[in-house]
Amino acid sequence: MRVILQKFIKLPFTPNQIKMKKVIRNQYLRITSIAVIILGTLSMGFRHNDKNDGDSKASPSSAPAVKSEKLPGVTGELPPVPVYGKWRNFTTKDGLPSDKAYCVRIDGDRVFAGTHDGLAVYQNGKWKTYTTKDGLAHNGVVSVDVSELTGDVWIGTLGGLSRWSAGKFETFNQFNSGMPNDLVYMVICVGKDVWVATGGGAGHYDTFTKEWEIFTEKNAPMHEPWTYGVSAGDGKIYIAAWGGGVIEYNTKTKQFRDYTDPDGFMEIDLQPNDGIIHDITTATSWADGILWVSTYFGMSRYDGKYWKGYFDHDSGLASNFINFLRAEGPIVFACSDKGLSSTNGESWVTYKKNDNNENGVAILTNGKEKKEIPLSPCIAHNFIIGVDGEDGVLWVATSKGVSRGEIIK
Amino acid sequence: MKKILLVTGIIFVLGLIIFIPGKKLAREHVNLKTAVSDHPLLCTNCHLHIHKRSPFARFDQADYLSPLNLAVSNDGKLVYVAAQDGNALLVADVEKGKIIRKIPVGNRPHSVIVDKAGEKAYVSNQWSDNVSVIDLENFKITDTLSTGNGPAGLSLSSDEKSLYVVNSYSSDLTVIDLESGIEIKRLSTGNNPTGATLSPDGSDLYVTSRRADIAHYGEPLVSHLTVMNDKSKRIKTYLGMESAYLMENVAFTPSGDMAVVTLIRPKNMVPSIQVERGFMMTHGIGIIEQKEDGRIIQLLTDEPNAYYPDPFDIVITPDGERAFISNSGVNFITVVDIDSVRALIAESNPEMLKLWPDHLGISSRYVIQRIPTGANPKGLALSPDGRTLYVAEHLEDRIAVISTDKMETVKTIDLGGPGRITVTRKGRRLLNNAGRTFQNQYSCYTCHPDEHEDGLVYNMASKDMGRNITNTQSLRDISDTPPFKWNGKNQTVFKQDGMRFSTVLTRSEPFSYPDLDAISSYILTGIKYPPNLGFNPSGKLTEAQKRGKKVFERTKDNLGNVIPENNRCITCHPAPFYTNLKQVDVKTLAASDDSILFDTPHLNNIYASAPYLHDGRAITLEEIWTIYGKEDKHGLVGDMTKNQLNDLIEYLKSLRSPDYEGNSSKIHKASIHP
Amino acid sequence: MRLKTVLFATGIVSLILSGVLLVSCGKKSLEGIIIITQASSSPVSPDYITGKSWRYVPESHLYAIDPGKPGKTPESLTEDFFSACSPEISYDGKYLLFAAQKNQDDPWQIMEMNLERRKITQVTSGAENSVDPAYLPGGRLVFSRTIANDSLKSGHTLFTCNTDGTNLKRITFNPHSYFASSVLKDGRVIAIGRQVFPQEETPAMMVLRPDGTKAELFCQSNDGMEFFSRGRETSDGKIILIESDNNTGNRRNLVSINYNRPLHTMSNLTSDITGDFYSVFPVDPGRFLVSYRTSETENYALFNFDPVKRVLGEQIYKSADNSILEAVVVRKQERPKKLPSEVDAGVKTGLLFCQNIAITGLSSPENIYSLPVADRIEVIGVDSSLGVVKVEQDGSFYLKVTADMPFKIKTLDAGGNTLNGPGSWIWLRPNERRGCTGCHEDQEMVPANRVALAVKNQPVAVPVHISGVKEKQVELE
Repeated sequence: MRVILQKFIKLPFTPNQIKMKKVIRNQYLRITSIAVIILGTLSMGFRHNDKNDGDSKASPSSAPAVKSEKLPGVTGELPPVPVYGKWRNFTTKDGLPSDKAYCVRIDGDRVFAGTHDGLAVYQNGKWKTYTTKDGLAHNGVVSVDVSELTGDVWIGTLGGLSRWSAGKFETFNQFNSGMPNDLVYMVICVGKDVWVATGGGAGHYDTFTKEWEIFTEKNAPMHEPWTYGVSAGDGKIYIAAWGGGVIEYNTKTKQFRDYTDPDGFMEIDLQPNDGIIHDITTATSWADGILWVSTYFGMSRYDGKYWKGYFDHDSGLASNFINFLRAEGPIVFACSDKGLSSTNGESWVTYKKNDNNENGVAILTNGKEKKEIPLSPCIAHNFIIGVDGEDGVLWVATSKGVSRGEIIK
Repeated sequence: MKKILLVTGIIFVLGLIIFIPGKKLAREHVNLKTAVSDHPLLCTNCHLHIHKRSPFARFDQADYLSPLNLAVSNDGKLVYVAAQDGNALLVADVEKGKIIRKIPVGNRPHSVIVDKAGEKAYVSNQWSDNVSVIDLENFKITDTLSTGNGPAGLSLSSDEKSLYVVNSYSSDLTVIDLESGIEIKRLSTGNNPTGATLSPDGSDLYVTSRRADIAHYGEPLVSHLTVMNDKSKRIKTYLGMESAYLMENVAFTPSGDMAVVTLIRPKNMVPSIQVERGFMMTHGIGIIEQKEDGRIIQLLTDEPNAYYPDPFDIVITPDGERAFISNSGVNFITVVDIDSVRALIAESNPEMLKLWPDHLGISSRYVIQRIPTGANPKGLALSPDGRTLYVAEHLEDRIAVISTDKMETVKTIDLGGPGRITVTRKGRRLLNNAGRTFQNQYSCYTCHPDEHEDGLVYNMASKDMGRNITNTQSLRDISDTPPFKWNGKNQTVFKQDGMRFSTVLTRSEPFSYPDLDAISSYILTGIKYPPNLGFNPSGKLTEAQKRGKKVFERTKDNLGNVIPENNRCITCHPAPFYTNLKQVDVKTLAASDDSILFDTPHLNNIYASAPYLHDGRAITLEEIWTIYGKEDKHGLVGDMTKNQLNDLIEYLKSLRSPDYEGNSSKIHKASIHP
Repeated sequence: MRLKTVLFATGIVSLILSGVLLVSCGKKSLEGIIIITQASSSPVSPDYITGKSWRYVPESHLYAIDPGKPGKTPESLTEDFFSACSPEISYDGKYLLFAAQKNQDDPWQIMEMNLERRKITQVTSGAENSVDPAYLPGGRLVFSRTIANDSLKSGHTLFTCNTDGTNLKRITFNPHSYFASSVLKDGRVIAIGRQVFPQEETPAMMVLRPDGTKAELFCQSNDGMEFFSRGRETSDGKIILIESDNNTGNRRNLVSINYNRPLHTMSNLTSDITGDFYSVFPVDPGRFLVSYRTSETENYALFNFDPVKRVLGEQIYKSADNSILEAVVVRKQERPKKLPSEVDAGVKTGLLFCQNIAITGLSSPENIYSLPVADRIEVIGVDSSLGVVKVEQDGSFYLKVTADMPFKIKTLDAGGNTLNGPGSWIWLRPNERRGCTGCHEDQEMVPANRVALAVKNQPVAVPVHISGVKEKQVELE
């Protein structure tokens, strides 16, 4: 996400951060190579099950490797991955404030698109834009969620969090509230609670008590406060933390658990399916008992017991560089720099636009089988950052506009 | 005879010996306290009445009832009265003209409503954070429903399956599922909401708010009416009422073409250089047209030389012809002819509609009567046939029964409070009455609603205009925290409310000394903090508050360096009142301020006093340090992490009156469980 | 032994003292007695500059009549005087103020009589005439007085002083002539005022605080009418007075004005009654005393008047050869509020703030916000212009003006052409701070709640030469 934001809005990187990453990589490359050899030898010939007791950390030794293509723990056929077509693309010509779209969110008969120049709302076939002039915290809108309880729209921007309640904007930022940081990469509503992933840690706001809680490296198992994604499921909150993998927070016990890459910062996955693919995570999404995690180096699936990793070379994934993902029931949609991919964990549908025209293809992958369906038009652009689907309709946020597709047979 | 002469002489001489030096000392003492040289020298004037903890104080106590809001039974025979100080729901028999039942409820009952079948009454207990459900057959509490902080206005949903509770302190609306008795959601409302009324067609709930959105001095003043859709139970819209606040209650015309709110239009941004010509406060109504693109129109109920402050409740007769408004600051009910209002709106162009909210003469078009009442009329209720209006005479412990035909009080129902008026009670009446202000333009209550503060910043132009703007300070429980005013120039309340007060504020005759003694007595002994149920219900701090307490009391920064004593929170803000009563400079002086030191404010219930700092520049507690404390002169915060600052603020929000410490369980018991 | 004697003596003294204290000096109350002004002549039309024959009624005298004893000869109260009129009763009902001249050519002075002892003391002194006294709360009174060597020929100016004549203070400072003052329950003074410079204007009822601050128009007479008598406030919030009708040969009517809205509520209570009224005194909301005559050939006599039915009641007193011009009832009355004063003699200036000059008398509700905003104002003194001041973008201005100096304001456009005004004369008392919503605006308008640009800066000193005056800082709050 940070990379995207660099590309889109030139978010300043501190030289120290860049240096630190290099150091970590070199250092970890050496250590993990040795570790892998030792662990590989040790794990040869025997395996034991991970009890998931809630406080032990997922480790190479505790995560069983998945040998076959078939997903472990899955009996019977998985629901098929639908194909979306009849794409319609929206740009500034259609009323968007900017072609640089960061996110999309469907709320009944309206769709929110977060762009570089404000929040766009699509309703009754028209786009309406809201900016700081209307009270929005900042025009760079990177995340939107709607509270099912109150109908309030929570908007994560690059300059604070806005609550948009019945037309009235209220700003929460690091100066006027307990918000961790004004770079709000992700916001979600969970019952009466609002969770944010920000550049200064994850934040939890209780709309009843009006209290903020902040989770950073000071009080949670993170490497640094940068968090890019947050999702909820099964009474847990899953925070995608820069260099920290996934931080799981149990809202009942208030206990943390973290999932990190057993290979550390290595960009190759030495031991397949031994855990999360990489510690630099960009998003998490939980649905139907499955936690999906995106990184810049591939995508992971976790069913609470087994991890499964996906890469562009061994699956239908468009690219390992995944900016964001969202699971809708059994299907997850991964937004990458080279197209949009969707999967049920086994079979894939990936959408790619042609470079020279508006058309493209939907690539269906099932094991070795590959099939292409031409799409005219296709999605607006292959650099994708946001996605949301509901009732057979899929909305996609790309770097050259917003796309809407419908399920086709 | 000789003996008599001898004894008389001895007594006389002894009298002189004690009297002469004694009087001199007393005079000096009284002059110092009152800042005048002619306040009567009677020890009991003050010492019986201004020390809330003195044994004498009990002589000045009486258990008043203070009716606040009312509801009438469906057959019109009974009136249900929420007795704010009596912590009870009183049931009055209209025909007998007396109270037939007294049902103890929670602390500080605010409102009462009755269901359509007349079987249940719901009473909001503002200081208990719950609602008492009362069976009206046997007058027993059958359930107690938890709410948000400071439940006030109540309404049932159109299908009566849900109860809507306005949380006046936490500024939100609780929706309770009556089948399970559980709060299913809490919706954000305007600031400090109070009244709630469902539209006649049951489609929308209107919720008033008393405070304007907290804003910096100079920014437009806007208060928001919250409109919730009854079916979706989601907020439909927030209607901005410009240049107005203290919207206490709302009523609909039976036809549903208008919603009408009571409101006050303050002039806090106009230099306080005169009272004449409405330069300080005006009072009126806001009309919300109930149609597509309906307008919001404001009209004053004042007149050019006569003001009718502190409008509280409003009811409209079933025939839709008249609205009755209780003007609690002048003991009058204002009667408005609704058709005249419609006619005025119809014939006014947009410029005229923009003018009327600032026009004192236009009220002669629609105000048709002023009906006098007893002290401090608050809640109103009409009989089902609309022929009788019941008025809660808040500080009279009485219900006035007004004939809406004759437009006069035809009888009163005594609620059975103590017959006598104590000095403190007299002071409370004075504080709530505008009679001491030129042309009755405003009372102390107007800027200090509920004896607290109104969240506004005023240009008190005691010298040059446009300078020395000040944030209204609360009157709650200030007896232990002299001196007063932001600059701490008034060492006592007697001085604060004395001659200068009348010269620059009320601009009318100063309080007589008996009145000054009475109002001082009330301010110093009669105004309590609400329990801090929102942030500190039991005195047991949360983990974050405990961490914040450590930060508050810290003597070393995060690097282990010793923080200079004068830059520690605890130094200037020590318990139990969280002030050292001294004047200091925390580098918050503005260019438009005269060079002064600021009196260290007390911090109990500080969560309820936004905005912050002397000129209200800090909209939230956080801003005191994130924006205005960067120089580290108002406590050392530069080294703090955001987590620490959050913890500190959570702790500050937990601070409450020492009166609640040690007996927090008592506060809890206020919430009655059947 | 000595001590014993001393104690005996002290005992005796103390007993005597207490005895003295026990003796109450109760005297007969004059409650209910009516005091009238009786004169052989009555003015045809009032002279608003000199007050001759109108406020100074030659050879007038005060008498006490007991309405309970009809036919009883009135008691003369002022036989030692050549003329005496304008009676006013103190709020405790024990004293009587009046204006009188000892001999024909003496200046008129204010006198006070102790009604129990009939003892008269002279309140004012000096060569100037003083008339129309009215009690202020706090042992003071307000009255009209001529100014010696008055360059503006302003006629009569309002003054206040203690009832013993001390602490004399002038409270009006514009070229107007003021008469017939009385005190409202809110503590302010109303008086008939007429501009005399540069030209005479129609007399109007002015109102001001007893310290001379916040002076403004209270109400105006109807077209072709002129205020004639003192205005008196009834217990139910009406101001009643006599208005003379110049259109119909000086016919005089009794009119009523609502205190709450004086500019738009004047109503003629005697339009259906032929004849003239000279003065009125409210006994209660349902009964007034009026001096009335059926025609100009008749003398004024004292009658009851029913303001509800608007009909004359029974005649109370009539003199064969004289007119009964005024009447007051001796009784306790509600004391008006004693207003505090912001005047500080140590300060040489006052402050004037106008929020939006675009709101003017020219505007009507239909166009009030759409008139062109003036670019500047000119402050005009009696002899010369005091300077031109730029108006802020929002129409506001903020001036610091030499105290007790009359001035007018007119509005100019960017080219210096007059847009509106000049308005009427204004003055500011030392340390007075005064605000206007607009410029000669509808007086029923209140200011909008906004921060005016003008008060974000220091006030503009007018005239310019006083800008350097070092002021005493006053803390009033």
